[in-house]
Amino acid sequence: MNSNSISFILDNEVFTIDWSKSLFPPSTTVLQFLRSIPKHTGTKEGCAEGDCGACTVVLAELAPTNDKLIYKAVDACLLFLPALHGKQLITIENLANKTPLSTELHPVQQAIVDNHASQCGYCTPGIAMSIFGLYKSEKKPERKDIIDSLAGNLCRCTGYGSIIDAAKVACKTIEQDQFSSNESKIIDALKTINESKDAIELTGKNQIYLIPFSLKQALNFRKIYPDAIIVNGSTDIAVRQNKTSEFHQQILDISFVNELKQIASQKNNFHIGAGCSLEDFKQFVHTQFFEFSPIVDHFASLQIRHVATIGGNICNASPIGDLIPMLFALNAQVKIVSSDNERIIYLEDFITGYRSINLNNNELTFEIIIPEKDNNSFYFAEKISTRRDLDISTLSIATKLKLSPQGIIEEIKLVYGGLAAKVKRAGSCEEFLIGKHFTSQNLIEASKLISNDFTPISDARSTSEYRLEVAGNLLLKCFYSIRVRMDKKIVL
Amino acid sequence: MKTELKHFPHESAVSHVTGEAKYVSDIQLHDNLLWGQAYFSPIAHALIKKYDLSEALQTEGVVDILDFRRIPGINQLNAFTHDEFCLAEDKVTFIGQVIFLIAAKDRETAIEASKKIKIDFEEQEAILTIEDAMAVGNKLSPTRSITTGNPDVAIETAKFHIQGSLTTGAQEHWYLETQSAVCVPGENRNMTVYASSQNPTETQNVVAEVLGLQSNQVICEVKRMGGGFGGKETQANPIAAWAALLADATGQPVLMQLSRDEDQKITGKRHPFLSYYEAGFDENGIISAYNVDLHANAGSSFDLSIPILERAMFHADNSYFIENMRVTGTMWKTNQPSNTAFRGFGGPQGMAVIENVIDRIARFLGKDASEIRFNNFYQIHSRNVTHYGQTVKNNKLQRLWNELIKSSDYYKRRKEIELFNQKSHFLKKGLALTPLKFGISFTTAFLNQAGALVLVYKDGSVMVNHGGTEMGQGLHTKILHIAAREFGLTMDRITISPTNTSKVPNTSPTAASSGTDLNGMAVKDAIRTIKNRLKPLAYKMLSAKDDSINDGPLIFRDNFIYLKSSPEIKLSFSDLIRQAHIAQISLSATGYYGTPDIFFDREKGKGKPFHYYAFGMAVSEVEVDILTGNTRLIQTDILHDAGKSIHPEIDKGQIMGGFIQGVGWCTTEVVRYDKKGNLLNCSPDTYKIPGIGDFPVRYKADLLKNANNPNAIHQSKAIGEPPFMLAFSVWMAIKDAISSVANHTKEPDFSLPATKEVVLKSISNLI
Repeated sequence: MNSNSISFILDNEVFTIDWSKSLFPPSTTVLQFLRSIPKHTGTKEGCAEGDCGACTVVLAELAPTNDKLIYKAVDACLLFLPALHGKQLITIENLANKTPLSTELHPVQQAIVDNHASQCGYCTPGIAMSIFGLYKSEKKPERKDIIDSLAGNLCRCTGYGSIIDAAKVACKTIEQDQFSSNESKIIDALKTINESKDAIELTGKNQIYLIPFSLKQALNFRKIYPDAIIVNGSTDIAVRQNKTSEFHQQILDISFVNELKQIASQKNNFHIGAGCSLEDFKQFVHTQFFEFSPIVDHFASLQIRHVATIGGNICNASPIGDLIPMLFALNAQVKIVSSDNERIIYLEDFITGYRSINLNNNELTFEIIIPEKDNNSFYFAEKISTRRDLDISTLSIATKLKLSPQGIIEEIKLVYGGLAAKVKRAGSCEEFLIGKHFTSQNLIEASKLISNDFTPISDARSTSEYRLEVAGNLLLKCFYSIRVRMDKKIVL
Repeated sequence: MKTELKHFPHESAVSHVTGEAKYVSDIQLHDNLLWGQAYFSPIAHALIKKYDLSEALQTEGVVDILDFRRIPGINQLNAFTHDEFCLAEDKVTFIGQVIFLIAAKDRETAIEASKKIKIDFEEQEAILTIEDAMAVGNKLSPTRSITTGNPDVAIETAKFHIQGSLTTGAQEHWYLETQSAVCVPGENRNMTVYASSQNPTETQNVVAEVLGLQSNQVICEVKRMGGGFGGKETQANPIAAWAALLADATGQPVLMQLSRDEDQKITGKRHPFLSYYEAGFDENGIISAYNVDLHANAGSSFDLSIPILERAMFHADNSYFIENMRVTGTMWKTNQPSNTAFRGFGGPQGMAVIENVIDRIARFLGKDASEIRFNNFYQIHSRNVTHYGQTVKNNKLQRLWNELIKSSDYYKRRKEIELFNQKSHFLKKGLALTPLKFGISFTTAFLNQAGALVLVYKDGSVMVNHGGTEMGQGLHTKILHIAAREFGLTMDRITISPTNTSKVPNTSPTAASSGTDLNGMAVKDAIRTIKNRLKPLAYKMLSAKDDSINDGPLIFRDNFIYLKSSPEIKLSFSDLIRQAHIAQISLSATGYYGTPDIFFDREKGKGKPFHYYAFGMAVSEVEVDILTGNTRLIQTDILHDAGKSIHPEIDKGQIMGGFIQGVGWCTTEVVRYDKKGNLLNCSPDTYKIPGIGDFPVRYKADLLKNANNPNAIHQSKAIGEPPFMLAFSVWMAIKDAISSVANHTKEPDFSLPATKEVVLKSISNLI
């Protein structure tokens, strides 16, 4: 294989793009690519920022065991072409079993037709692909799984009820479909593509796009190309490229580095690879820190969580931060590596300001280290947003609280997102509460201090007054939520 | 093959799910398709001092850049009022107004070129809000008024009295397919326009006008839209005109499509309203007098603002008889993109005020709001004339109320919610029932007409052309059902062609929920003409089979023709058509329909503007978090009057979709601007339409049974807009939940949308 090319499977054939011949830059999105080739206009652009899902396609990739495929719905508008390397790209045109004279609809498609779940039809290909992703996950979905799989797909016509019905019907009995019967062939083809682990350097129109397959290769590229922007899921950079014509001449894509995707437990700590997807991290939170489910359950959409990573989220250092408040509350550390050094620092020190982090241009974020759960502590989180799903927080809170047997607050972390230039703890409130009894009265008193800690801005999402008032109220919610859990504990 | 009508899917459903369904931007032409890009004004109000396009023109891949001087025809976008420049001349009057047009090989090149355009503005003071416009008296047109009885006296003499104001917000259409057009130049400067337009005739007219052509030199075709909701009734015209200018100038086909952000920034929205009201009522909550002044932000030009205002005024009563009433309406001109049609067309804005008034009255009297609503409903034999003088016939309100109160378990749930709220600290529940009555017809009477062209080919297959457009609402599917029934054919024998101005001329927009009513009748008329031509031959052919046959009613059914008296002797439709062609019988016909007997005297404020009314009712239950203002819809029960439905599944789809769209308007869809008039919520990142998680866990919608409508095709009823207003049940339920924190003794501050912020503020003021 030419190191200036990538290969993937489209329409059951190996498709190779060679940048010594190609006219478009490597960071062309999968959506732009599909819409430029014949017979693939079924994938639609609705927003070009991952908020509507009209461009949803499904990627099938080799499971780590190499013996089966894992199907993931993703937004084609947020995916750079090289991310397809070694995977099967499945588009809406591939779902039905077609012969020149007949079309046998996939059960997912048939269910949409039978349940009158399409009206104008523009969102329908994306809806079908999301349900197809759910279908191929081979679990019998409950209502919440259906909602979760489709929260990244907007429809302005149907009101969604018929879509929920269609998904239910489609996934009621999951049978062998044309993809299952073709799977071994695809697996073989993907194995061949994935055989080479030599780093790829794509040199296209005004752009160098680097794909390392190991940490060593990645760090080496980092040394040679210190100015290259690092992407993993590209869900943020792609939005900027689509919407502001931001164009990067050097891109280092670390999404193929397996060493960054591990989740392990060692010596009272969890080690979460920086390349771990948000969806995998969500499952981790469900099993280890369920109290933070409100954050991970309503974070972006499944399409985005399939490719976006925890490393990307923290390195973005957004003021809202999504995962950052809970990671602050958990006292997380970040392990940073370069080709000749490694260091571990607290996440609170790693994030230095508005979208700025403590990372040198020869370094990579390797993993996030989270101490195991302290069973004597209480955790609480809440996300406030205009819409429950796929909406960036107006503000959010994550707390950790440790009480003495007498009910005195020994340790407290009140971490807020969306109230300052970076995720920040409510220092005055914490200081007031430490050493005091855990009572609603004390929490109410503490909430009055919130304006000492924050002067939030007014923006498209809400006014500063709302943010401050809710920030205070959330302390009360925190109190009652923990109180309920404590009472349950006592009963048990 | 049987004619099973009920569950036949949307005629494009299979194309939708396979991705084969083509939208404007999916048309893959040859290589010389150019991308058209508009250059937008970044300032709300400014004089254009000078500009220089030379550097931009030198960008590699740019074919041409046009300013207003390059327009060969008239520099106007509104065919009626001529108050919207196609390209700005010496000033700009809103952010997003188009000044130049760029044709380039692709979008990236065009964007690059647009950054090289040099332009100097002299900024002027901008009028952005209704209040700004009021302060300087900037009316779009004089205030209008409709009065019945003597409201001022009646208010004085009423036992009780309330007054107040209400704001209702703008709403972005958020059709999934943004505005787009492909224009293909032909011989002699003729132009073919592939548009995503609810109004192909007007698109054709506007394109002809800017190109300086006659209408017969422009063809506009609409296969389907990826959503319309009113946003493509007039506002699909500009992009077609711009693409046509570029195609005409370059001699190459041009595709233009707005990006999502461009679309949200530059196109008009549902008009935001500010309304002042006062009402007089008695101890039963019966309103004897109601004065309401409706004020709306029209934006920078007329567009459809006046008919929208008129519909708001016609719906200020919603479902209630008010003996003494005055409604005034004023459209204010501002430096915003011109606001436009959106499902309900002003109706929701007018109705929101009276719904809030009734809710206030109930709280004032300490009674259940659903009962106050019932007490004020239009009656059957008396108390049944609207403020504009039309008698409300075939009133279904009492029936709907009685059935829905029972089926939704309203009173039981009311008690349960009271108990819940007494015990729950932070979560409060609310419940509300709201009705709707919606007038069906364009209030601009002449628009109530439609044409059709039905073609029967000699193999017996049929193509139906009609003037309506498909935007997902299922119009073509309903027309297919109507044509199948009229011809007695199975649906596989009939296709519906794309809407095309060269097949049916002078069509009205597909709007005002009228698509099926008008076009269905026109199609029926055309088919009747063809059937009448065929009948003599059919008799002849049937009597050849059996000479006892000579007269009697002919039946067309299941692809056969026979006499009612002897169904066993039949003739296949295809045989009949084959013979008809040989017998030199014309097998195509036009059809026409104009709604009879509607009129309105604007001077007197009286008339019969509507052919009939649609009715519906909903009960919704919500949960409100009083610490955050978050709301959640738990349950909705709907009972809706769709007449004798042509397609119950499509009608239920319209109900569910309209309702949820209304819920968006009432809850999460916020439009904010900065001080310069820049839209802050200009992408789906911050503008939140409902997502799948917002659909209520418990949802039930039924069509009212035995509700045949004598006034429309096959006794059906228009369905497009009315269900939008079922969402008031959610809005009012949120208010009910808020009100519970003060035990329903104090009137909460309230507005629309009831965002988390509005809710929290309201609660804070009560505690």
